[in-house]
Amino acid sequence: MKTGPILGSLLLAIALLGMAMAVSAAEDSEEVSSPDLKCLKCHSRNLKKTLEDGEKMSLRIEAVDFDKSVHRVIGCTGCHRDIAKAEKHPSREPIASRRAYSIKHNQTCSQCHEDHYADYKGSIHASLVEDGNENAPLCSDCHTSHKIQFRGAFEPVNGEPCSKCHADINEAYAQSVHGSARTEGNQLRGKFIKAPYCSDCHEAHEVLAVSTTDYLVPNCMSCHEVAKLAHEQWLPNAAMHMKSVGCAVCHAPEAELRVNLQLYDRVQQAPVRRSEDNVTLQNKLAEIDPDGNGLDPVELWKMMLKTDENGPSSDIILRGRLEVANGVDAHRLADHSEAIRSCESCHQANAEAFQNVTVSINRPDGRKESYKADSKVLNSPISVDSVGGFYAPGGTRIKWLDALLVLAIVGGLAVPVGHFALGKFLRRKK
Amino acid sequence: MNTTEAPKGAPKNQQHEKIYLHPLPVRIWHWLNAAGFLFLILTGFQLRYVDLFNLMTFETAVHLHNWVGFAVIANWFLWFFYYLTSDKITNYHPDLNVSNFFQRFFRQAQFYGQGIFMGEKRPHNVQPSDKFNPMQKLTYVFMMFITVPITFLSGLMMWDVERFSGLIALAGGIRVVNTVHVLMFIMFVMFMFVHAYMGMLGPKASTHYKEMITGYEEPHD
Repeated sequence: MKTGPILGSLLLAIALLGMAMAVSAAEDSEEVSSPDLKCLKCHSRNLKKTLEDGEKMSLRIEAVDFDKSVHRVIGCTGCHRDIAKAEKHPSREPIASRRAYSIKHNQTCSQCHEDHYADYKGSIHASLVEDGNENAPLCSDCHTSHKIQFRGAFEPVNGEPCSKCHADINEAYAQSVHGSARTEGNQLRGKFIKAPYCSDCHEAHEVLAVSTTDYLVPNCMSCHEVAKLAHEQWLPNAAMHMKSVGCAVCHAPEAELRVNLQLYDRVQQAPVRRSEDNVTLQNKLAEIDPDGNGLDPVELWKMMLKTDENGPSSDIILRGRLEVANGVDAHRLADHSEAIRSCESCHQANAEAFQNVTVSINRPDGRKESYKADSKVLNSPISVDSVGGFYAPGGTRIKWLDALLVLAIVGGLAVPVGHFALGKFLRRKK
Repeated sequence: MNTTEAPKGAPKNQQHEKIYLHPLPVRIWHWLNAAGFLFLILTGFQLRYVDLFNLMTFETAVHLHNWVGFAVIANWFLWFFYYLTSDKITNYHPDLNVSNFFQRFFRQAQFYGQGIFMGEKRPHNVQPSDKFNPMQKLTYVFMMFITVPITFLSGLMMWDVERFSGLIALAGGIRVVNTVHVLMFIMFVMFMFVHAYMGMLGPKASTHYKEMITGYEEPHD
């Protein structure tokens, strides 16, 4: 029949006209490919699907957004392959929840972005997802589902995408020397610098727990190449300081500090990770510290005796590290002229830096699990062995040795005084 | 060498009159060592007690302590190689007759405790090849071959913790190393008092001090 093609053309024209009218901002959508227009025919409307958890999820796709997406070129079925393959549109298929649907589609990204997906799977974000954390980000949480932008569009100062979860950190970053420089067009002290944003230090996809990454010191050094040399020129034991003291300790001068004593395997040269048995450090230490007020020197010593299920292990030590007490403060990095340069701020008795002490073990996903310890563990003779790997002259000195020094001075003076007095006595007797 | 003959450089008026007890290298070592240790003790106090003393900044104290520490180590080697290559090494030879040694040791202790005040003769006859009495010998052997090297070694480890990290781990950690270093420091503080006082127990308070400057034994009677 000759009417077929004419009718078909007419219907297509009507469909296209209908689409153009339905999409509110359709002016820009001329380039959306025609198969996608079929999808948008329905999905540009305010369709909703009732999920099993009762939520009514919108199925509307903003054509303008999708048109600007970098995924426009692969079209709807580039990701929704199940629809392309299915004979029937799976609209009746039940969906447990919005989250469940996103998790199901998370690996869709791996079909093209295999490397990034592999990085993501090794990240703390993916570990949290596996742990059932409802807030842990999936691909679409950072990149969105349908308005996926090119990399340059991610601008942390403006808060996206990391600030969706890490708003407080983003705020601290924005005020830091890095954030300020970035806001001012990568200018610092009149010079162009490439100010880092979140992914420059933390990686975009392989986001790891900071405690498993040598606390990002190598990342700092990758830009601040001369920092090592600059520190070596004035800072005694510069290499040791740069290993045991976090950069932010001095370079975020307002930060609250703490000493973290991390369980460390010196043979494996890696932090100890607790097994998957879900027995937290707190549970394990309940027996040692029944009143739960933090480990005192004796309790810490007992803990080290129990580090290995088969008995004390000489391979497991406590590796001490001075660090900022919270992640937000770690991002308040100041200009180097404001950095703490006074050794006395740490190397004296009762220094604030040593009042807050924690003992930690890494969880299977690398995150730190901490337990409070009494600051006395840093000054007690009982801790000479258990905290053998951390010492700051003056700051964490053993008070017991001070008493011995006083005795030595008194004894040193007593010898001549006593001998002189003995001489007087004996001569008189003679 | 004839013990009563003075070597070249000895003051002429003292030649053939007194025993040349302390050769020049030993005197140089002794006074450099004394000054060095006093300085190390001073900077050590500053490093350990920033909250109590303010003689200099912590940073300055660290740098001075390190430099003087290296100077004192070098000085120890001067002492060591001098004695190793000279006939004066006999001063540090152990007395193989232990019973005899301790008999003389206690006689010396008795002298310091009583005889010295009663005008008794000194039990030890000082000679250039055997100038230390048993109490001195035991003390100096212990100091020079045990405590001083331990102090140097522990100090070196703390000078560059990363460089010596293997050795530090072997010793039980930086806290153990520091505790050992501080225990040595405490001992040296006491030693300084006692040593300075014992130096005054000659015929006159200044006798032994003069000997350590001129090298010649001052007349004891």
